[in-house]
Amino acid sequence: MAMKINTYTKSREWFDRATKVIPSGVYGHLGPAEGNFMPVTSFPLMGDHAQGSYFWDVDGNRFVDYMCAYGPNVLGYNDPDVDAAALEQMKKGNLMTSPSYKMVELAELMVDTIASADWAFFAKNGNDVTSGAVMAARAATHRKKIVFVNGFYHGVSPWTQKIDYPGILPEDVANNLYIDWNDFDQLEQVFAENEGEIAAFISTPYLHGNYFDNQLPADGYWQKVRELCTKNGTALIVDDVRAGFRLDIAGSDHFYGFEADMICFCKAIANGYNVSCLCGKDWLKSAVSSLSYTGSYWYSAVPFAAGIACINKLKALDAPALFKEKATKLTEGLKQAAADNGFHLVVSGEPALFYLRLADDDSLFIHQDWIQECVRRGVFFAGHHNHFMNASLSDEDIAFTLEVADDAFKAIRPKYK
Amino acid sequence: MTDSKTLAYINMYAVLGTLENLCELDEEARGLLKNKKMISIGLDVAGGPAATLYFKNGYCRMEDGCSPDCTIKMGFSSCEKFNGMIDGTVTPIPSKGLLHLGFLLKSFMPLTDLLAKYMRPEPEALEDEHFFEISTKLMFYTITVAIAQIANHDAIGRFSASHIVDGDIYMGIKGACAATVRAKNHHLVTIKKDCGNRRSMMEFCDIHLARDLFDGKVNAVACIGEGTISMGGMISMIDNVNRILDRVALYLA
Repeated sequence: MAMKINTYTKSREWFDRATKVIPSGVYGHLGPAEGNFMPVTSFPLMGDHAQGSYFWDVDGNRFVDYMCAYGPNVLGYNDPDVDAAALEQMKKGNLMTSPSYKMVELAELMVDTIASADWAFFAKNGNDVTSGAVMAARAATHRKKIVFVNGFYHGVSPWTQKIDYPGILPEDVANNLYIDWNDFDQLEQVFAENEGEIAAFISTPYLHGNYFDNQLPADGYWQKVRELCTKNGTALIVDDVRAGFRLDIAGSDHFYGFEADMICFCKAIANGYNVSCLCGKDWLKSAVSSLSYTGSYWYSAVPFAAGIACINKLKALDAPALFKEKATKLTEGLKQAAADNGFHLVVSGEPALFYLRLADDDSLFIHQDWIQECVRRGVFFAGHHNHFMNASLSDEDIAFTLEVADDAFKAIRPKYK
Repeated sequence: MTDSKTLAYINMYAVLGTLENLCELDEEARGLLKNKKMISIGLDVAGGPAATLYFKNGYCRMEDGCSPDCTIKMGFSSCEKFNGMIDGTVTPIPSKGLLHLGFLLKSFMPLTDLLAKYMRPEPEALEDEHFFEISTKLMFYTITVAIAQIANHDAIGRFSASHIVDGDIYMGIKGACAATVRAKNHHLVTIKKDCGNRRSMMEFCDIHLARDLFDGKVNAVACIGEGTISMGGMISMIDNVNRILDRVALYLA
């Protein structure tokens, strides 16, 4: 039987309403431009509800969701344990003049869980904690410069953006230095050329940029970086906002066998309740204390309670092992479906955050065509972003995904003979 | 946050270079050159661009470099002086070809005046659909050529270009006109036609949408959501071209 092909009449109506009152309708990563909806007519634009591994759009189309709200959905949408903890805390009190003791409980849990953590500091978004980490590094070292890896994404504050982005001044990024991923010699050279000036080296645990295959660290890379940073009195910041809790409950630095000076978490802490966390070493605790850095909602207790429930459940499930097992099954099936239809699918990055690319042309047109055919059939893949596994994904979901993938390959095959 | 050297390259290739398209699209422009024998104007800017404009029987083409055989030669001691000629504050004196002053006064200057009429149109002129179409197409060619000049010469534009991988970027107005921005080793060249071997593409749905974009009345990100701009292929190329486009507006303002 032919697969159902989605239509998006109500999505379009809502989107048109949105454009009248919201700049670009849906801005940022969930929007059609940044989300690479090609063509835009193949993608849902507005959601209605979600459960487990699925979300439904306003037209009633169901999607097996491999983006997981770009990461926060780590256990499954509406996880009963996390939601129960959140609801209980909501009844007791959320944002109060005195912070809830739940903050202390979550901080203790983070310090007990994250291998490199001596302390924990909470905020709301990933950008809050990457910015906090950079400020702390500068406060502690009294140095200006920060080293980045090309292809990075560390948030949206001016210091994280590039000189050619709208609204960014050359002064905003004047102290940014750039190296290529896995190029330790280049990093060493940059350190030598800027001796005594580098406050921090900031990087994701591996390179999960867009439009290219994700790249894992070379053997010994992180250990050499760690040594270089220590030798130079430079803070080593790991941005684990994306990969945190999916590779290793104890942190992705632990996964790759080194210890960061500061490590940033957000997406997977609380299964969709908004909280981010900066963890770090003792030598930076005083610097973080010195910062003028806070926010109206940074102390809300509901996300703290949700975070405690979420992390404990991730531990109980041994979620990283589960993600690896399911993602490997899924991606091996996808590669086979591609091969069965005469295509070549490259899967890169760690399985829990797998990145897909059809390697049959160097323009990505074929890849984009396949992605949109999958989305039209109810599997939400992203064109050019790593995906995210969640613990509720079932074998049936994987089987359905592989059916869709095969059907989508068959749909595009006649165009690319 | 602009520099005079980049502006000189834009003025040379993107503004004066659009005379080629003016002669293709506008009958009055062709008429100014009708039955003219080949005549060429060499433009040589110290520390900046050099090009030669060839005019013959209704048509115009530009070649890179100031030809030693040009009929008329105009040299400029600086990019600022050349930019002054374009904005009308500097009157150039030919160093060669004074005998052809008549061509400069009776053909070349009216041609540039005509180009200015299309490039900086009176609002009421745009109400005429034919004028609107020519004006928008000329703007399209100017902008697409300016992209390459900014990518190659402007400091921030070069940063954007440093993130553009090799290949052809198709840019077009559906059913109206097309250009190819070709990237190689982060150096960009614009070819004013669809070269057919796209690594990425960005297309405006019609000429009215293109005009609104050029005039800053609508935003490209919003248009992608609305489906009036379509894009595809190696999107990082489009992403960085869009960053350069922001600077085109700055230079051509």
